[in-house]
Amino acid sequence: MGKMDPNIKDSLDHIRAATQELHGAISDAAAKRGGATKADLEAFAQKAKAAAESAKGSLSTQHDAAKKHVADAVTQLEATQKHIAESLKSSGQAFQTSVQKVLADARASAQKISEAVAAKRSAASAKTPK
Amino acid sequence: MHNYIAVVFDDTGKAYEGLHALWQLDDAAEVTVHGTAVVHRDALGNFQVDTKETHPALATAVGVGVGALLGLLAGPAGAAVGAAGGAAIGAATGGAVGIAADLGRADTRDQAAGETRFVLGNGQSAVIADVSEDWTSPIDTRMRSLGGTVYRRAKSDMEDDVWFDDYYIPNSYLYPYEYIPSSYPLW
Repeated sequence: MGKMDPNIKDSLDHIRAATQELHGAISDAAAKRGGATKADLEAFAQKAKAAAESAKGSLSTQHDAAKKHVADAVTQLEATQKHIAESLKSSGQAFQTSVQKVLADARASAQKISEAVAAKRSAASAKTPK
Repeated sequence: MHNYIAVVFDDTGKAYEGLHALWQLDDAAEVTVHGTAVVHRDALGNFQVDTKETHPALATAVGVGVGALLGLLAGPAGAAVGAAGGAAIGAATGGAVGIAADLGRADTRDQAAGETRFVLGNGQSAVIADVSEDWTSPIDTRMRSLGGTVYRRAKSDMEDDVWFDDYYIPNSYLYPYEYIPSSYPLW
């Protein structure tokens, strides 16, 4: 690694930032006294949808090494949306439990995008003459 | 290579400098950091992991995850006690508590030291991270300049360990971005 210009951020970097922000927002809400609210979850649903659409839209432009990770991230972001929808229909302890599922999904999506970034960087590095 | 690392520092402030430096290396595309956490061991040997997850069940889960990761980094000798001690690490969120079984127990410590030499001593702090790196020198050089000692295990090695259990896949409990609690306002 280390051969790429760090000032150039591509779509994958922006999607990574979006998934990191989504995880941060969900974990902040979960850590609040009283836990996350349904209003919080509605906002997360929008963020998850936007990140999933960006990731899907970028698939065709991704390096082969990164594609599978991005596709996995899309799956996780869709699971995030599904669990948010389920959370919105639940209450009490079931609601808080489903929030933890949403958090786990968001964490997994951030991991997958991060792995895509690593694959992209590694591929770029391998192409660069040492 | 996809590796897990533990960078041990003699004090908490340095550990957070190390955490910041790690994410700077990521920003410079020198390495890719997938997740990080900071763990402390106080003078009495109690563990504490810095987390914002205050929900008791989640704090315990984080503790189990990070505890398991400490065990995985310590090698097979540390695995069982790392996982066992993890629940206590989780319970320590927001305040250290003692743990019954931990990596500091003399027999475990000696065995772990023989295998990987990774031990978090009393009063020390460690940055735990899940990273992809094509070369180890960027992290090693930067952390050494901050006074840290780097311990590293390949993710594939950890998964090959016979005691590895999917339940303890630990990276889910590492923050996928730079998280510094407000109690450490360094930057």
